[in-house]
Parts: sequence; structure tokens; C-alpha cells
Amino acid sequence: MAANGHSGGGDRPMDTVSGRFSPEAVAELEEIVSHYPDRRGAMLPALWIAQREYGGSLPAEAIKEVAERLGCPPVEVEGVASFYTMYNLGRRGRRHLEVCTCLTCAVLGAADTLRALEEKLGIKVGQTTPDGEFSLAEVECLNWCEAGTVVQVGGRYFGNVTPDKVDALVEQIRQIQDTEAVTQADQIVKVQLARRHDGTADG
Amino acid sequence: MGELRVLFEHRDVPGIERMDVYESVGGYQGLARAVTMSRADVIGEVKTSGLRGRGGAGFPTWIKWSGIPADQPTERYVVCNADEGEPGTFKDRELMLRLPHMVVEGLAIAGYATNSSTGYIYIRGEFLESARAVRRAIDEAYARGYLGESVCGSGHRFDLHVHMGAGSYECGEETALMSSLMGERGQPRAKPPHAPLPVISGLWQRPTLINNVETYATVPHILARGGAWYASMGTERSKGTKLFSVSGHVAKPGNYEIELGTPLEELIALAGGVVGGDLKAVIPGGSSVPILTAEQCRGVKLDYESCMAAGTMLGSGGFMAFNDRTDIVKLMHVTARFYAHESCGKCTPCREGTRWMYRIFQRITAGQGRPEDVDLLLSICNNIDGRSYCPLGDAASWPIRASIQRFREEYDYWIEHGRSPVGDDSVPGIG
Ligand SMILES: Cc1cc2nc3c(=O)[nH]c(=O)nc-3n(C[C@H](O)[C@H](O)[C@H](O)COP(=O)(O)O)c2cc1C
Ligand code: SF4
Ligand code: FES
Repeated sequence: MAANGHSGGGDRPMDTVSGRFSPEAVAELEEIVSHYPDRRGAMLPALWIAQREYGGSLPAEAIKEVAERLGCPPVEVEGVASFYTMYNLGRRGRRHLEVCTCLTCAVLGAADTLRALEEKLGIKVGQTTPDGEFSLAEVECLNWCEAGTVVQVGGRYFGNVTPDKVDALVEQIRQIQDTEAVTQADQIVKVQLARRHDGTADG
Repeated sequence: MGELRVLFEHRDVPGIERMDVYESVGGYQGLARAVTMSRADVIGEVKTSGLRGRGGAGFPTWIKWSGIPADQPTERYVVCNADEGEPGTFKDRELMLRLPHMVVEGLAIAGYATNSSTGYIYIRGEFLESARAVRRAIDEAYARGYLGESVCGSGHRFDLHVHMGAGSYECGEETALMSSLMGERGQPRAKPPHAPLPVISGLWQRPTLINNVETYATVPHILARGGAWYASMGTERSKGTKLFSVSGHVAKPGNYEIELGTPLEELIALAGGVVGGDLKAVIPGGSSVPILTAEQCRGVKLDYESCMAAGTMLGSGGFMAFNDRTDIVKLMHVTARFYAHESCGKCTPCREGTRWMYRIFQRITAGQGRPEDVDLLLSICNNIDGRSYCPLGDAASWPIRASIQRFREEYDYWIEHGRSPVGDDSVPGIG
């Protein structure tokens, strides 16, 4: 299934909730709901599904749709979503670059890497490029310190990123679909779904 | 002593993340043996092994396991804490990526031993690569009958689900993790004496066992080779082997498995020695533990008791070595930023204290430190330590306090001269 190729159109889900979840997304949600004793348990996965269905972010309609599908008040969904850093409630780029500047990366020169990325992308930390392609952030330990400085883009980690490697890195990132926020959300959903009849398929 | 590989014995075997290869090196033998034993005997084996939790606190694993009321007519849950977020630690990431079946096997054994039929592995959202390996391992284990309706033909049911986090260090704290798993903000819940332990009332108020990835990954070896064999390694009170994630100024950073009680200097040697200068300081167990001076490191052994005696802790095994070009004040600035950022905001001492400390560090490393700042930091540490709702607050204060006690002259230099005592600008003071 395409990451977000099924969100528009007249293909409405077979239930009464209005929103952008495709029938496949609704089926995924229901499978995940069955892992928990109540629907609320599926809150985090539901937000991941929503982040994919809404193209990489969680606008107010996405929060509302999750609330309806799980049967809890939108303010609670919003409260949960805002607690976690990986849900995108603001406006990040299609590819969100996160540079670790925590302990090990810091002593290995993360600040220089960050500066080089700012220069290469023409934006500061916290900003998004005018074309909406890239945004840049500083994050705490990504727990791959052996490869410091570590940069995460979507579902991919890049290690040993020194300033001289930044040009090549940005070009590489453009070529990899996994680096898109929407693909990351899709893959995070997929790893929570069983594939019992095909135990050997690659994720 | 060198490396002593138990969990990592087959880490480098090509394809070890797949079922057939894992089975060919003895995988799932521990589970196969466990299901022929009584539940009490399985827990007895874990008790004999002396295994202690590898998530940071070093709590005896068997006590938790035997605390689960296995005979009551209720649902019980087994949870794997794979939210690895302690700065400096990256062992669980590699375990899941390279040896996912070992983790799944350990969880299946725990399910059997505690008579639980549902397990969750809570993986931090960033660890997609590891999560994919775990997903595949779970699917393979279902296909082979190691999970599902009748684990190894025992008639015991055990389902295992992957639950992905979404970015929050505090969710690694066990009660916060349970809040998060139930679809709430990742804030901790009351514990004794205000509420029962998770083994009595955890997820959805039902008995819940929670252990770290490495803890579960150790269990299959204990069941396959016996608790007494495991206990023959390590020291009197720290049995077995432990994974250490070594990073910082060393030639060969990475995960190393050593016998508990191995000299600290030997781990540094295994990681290729210190580069870029002489050793100045070590944080041996993740960002939450007190920093040691090079002097203090001499002769220290890496086990729970020796680390404690040396004025630090073994923690999660996130071992960071720093050379003499490292500015300790800037290092602690980064540490303070981490805790200010990760404080969940539930209690005042931690929420306010961590932010306040961070602001003081910003001012000191901007060359604007005031003479009273060091004492102010110490007094904030005292106000957080022991007064916060969960251990994150304590963990925010210990490293700062130890750094002041052990590197006071660097703070004084910064405050007097407004610049770094080591003339190093490689550690950022990013705000
Ligand atoms: C702020 C905080 C973060 C923690 N993060 C983790 C973690 O990422 N992984 C982990 O296993 N334990 C973590 N812990 C410890 C857990 O609360 C708990 O002690 C552990 O999962 C128990 O497993 P064990 O007995 O096998 O070590 C953390 C504790 C605190 C206070
Ligand atoms: S100590 Fe910090 S992280 Fe723990 S409950 Fe209080 S505010 Fe939250
Ligand atoms: S400090 Fe950057 S990955 Fe841990």
C-alpha cells in the first residue's frame, strides 16, 4: 500500500466517522485495537496512522478523527499527542532532519555538523526550507552514540556525520524514500501489525 | 579478562537475526526446556542465576517474577522495556537489531513463568530498524509455534505485540511506560507506599512484569545452561556478564560484553584506548550516574557494588570516556539541558529545578556566571534529589552535584574568567 496515496478521493470508509482514514487504515486500526483490552490502548498507534493519513502531520481534523475512532474527547487526544516529540503538530518539512547534540555527539563535534547543515540547507534550527522539503532540529541522544554525530531523518539513522560529509548526506537523503516523515509513520504502523502467514517477508 | 560473550557469542554470525540461523546455534532451547519445567522451577533457575535487571536499577529479576500472582483468575501482562533513551546507551538497539530472537525467546519464557498470555514490547519510536527486526522475529516465532496458542506445544498461550513509542525519555521509567502503553501522556504513576507495585497492579490494574531488553535476552541462556552456570561468572553479588555501550573519546566505540567485576581500565583498553589526549573523566553508566575523575577510575571494577563504592553507579552500562580536552562545565550544560528538556512536568521540584539549573549553565558558559552560581546549583540539586515524584529528578541532580564536587576548579575558572579552562569550543552550549 502506498504511504499516503489513498487519503483523498471519494473512497470513504465503510463506517460513520468522517475523516481521511482509508478503508485500509481503518482495518489496520482495528487490528491494532485488538491488541489491547480497550480502544484507548491504541492511542499512540492511532496517532501514527493519522500522521500518515494526513500526509505527515496532525492537524486539528486528524486529532478529531482519532478521537472519534477511539471514542474519547479530542482534548485528551491533543493532550497525548502534544506530549510526544515525534508527532508533528506544527509545520515540519517533508524530510525532518534531527541532529543529536547530546553528550557523546556534543564532544565529537555535533555543533559543527549542525552549523554545516544550516549552511547547506539555508535555514536555522527550527526552520523549514521555503519549498517545504527540509526542516532542521536539534535532538537529545538518539542512542547510537558509537556513531556520533548521529543524524536522524524520518526512519533512517545516519552515523559519523562530520561537516565535510554534509553535502553528500543531503543529496543522499533526497534519494531515499524512508527519510520522508510520511513513510516513517507508515513503517511505524506496519511494524505493529502481524504478518503471520508470511514470516519471511521483509519490512 | 577481556570480553566474555554470552549474549554476544553469536552476534557476528551472518543471518543470526533469522530463525533458522538462530535455531542452528541453539536458539529456543531455553524456551523448550522451560516449558517442561514447573513455573516455580523456571523462576528458581532465574533465582539461582543471580540475574539483576539490566535497565539501570539492578533489581533482582527473580523477585519481580515471583511477585506476579500467577494463580489468580485474571489477565497478566509481560512488558519489555525497549525505550532505550539513557544518553550514552545503545545496547538494546543492537540486541534487537542483531539478536531479536533472543529477546522474543526471553519474553516467551517470562510469559510461561508468570502465567501471562499477553506481552508487549515497547520500542522507542526512533528505533525503526530494530523494530523491523523484532517484527520479523515475532512473525517467524509464531510460524514455528514459539508464540501463539500453544507455546512449544505446552498448551500455554502467549501473544506478543509490538508497541511503538513516539519520542519521550520519561517513557522509559516503568510506570510512565505503562501510562504510555495505555494511551496516555508518558507520566509516571504512584508507587508504594501510595499504590501497589506493578507486579500487583500495573497495566489496566492487572499484574504486570516489566524488564529491560537485555534482562529478557539473558534469560534463555540461563534456562538452557542452568542458573548455576550463569552464577559462576561475575562477582559475589553481581553475577554474570553485562553489555557496556562504550562511546566518547575512544578508538573503537561500540558494545562490549564483559564479565561483571572486570576492571574499568580494561573496558577502555577493549575499546581501543583513549584518543585525542589523556583520560580526564568517565561516566560509566549513562548520563544519570555521577562522573568519575581519571584518578577515581583507577582500580575500579565494573560491578554494581564496586561502582557504588567508587561514588558512581553501573546504571544502564552507557560508558562514556572523555579526554583532557573536554570541558566538564559544558558537558554538564548539555546534561542539564537534557533533563530540563525531558522532565515530564508532573512535579514541581523537577520541572522547575531542571529548568533553573539549565538557565544557570547557559549563563556560566556565556561568560556571565556569578560567584554564587555554584552554590545555587548545589542547593537546587538538594531540592530536587529525594523530593521528586520519580527517579528522573534524582537522576538530574546526581551528575551535576558530582561534577561540582569533583571538578569544582573548572566551574570557578569559568566564573572568574568567563571562558573555558581547557580552551575547547567543541562542546556546544546550544540553547
Ligand atoms: C527516567 C527514567 C528512564 C528510564 N529509561 C529506561 C529505559 O530506557 N530502559 C529500561 O530498560 N529501563 C529504563 N528505566 C528503568 C525502568 O524504570 C525499570 O527500572 C526497568 O525497565 C526495569 O527492568 P529491569 O529490572 O530489567 O532493569 C528508566 C528509569 C527512569 C527513572
Ligand atoms: S521527577 Fe520529573 S520526570 Fe519524574 S514525575 Fe517529576 S517532573 Fe516528571
Ligand atoms: S549522544 Fe548522540 S546518539 Fe547518543
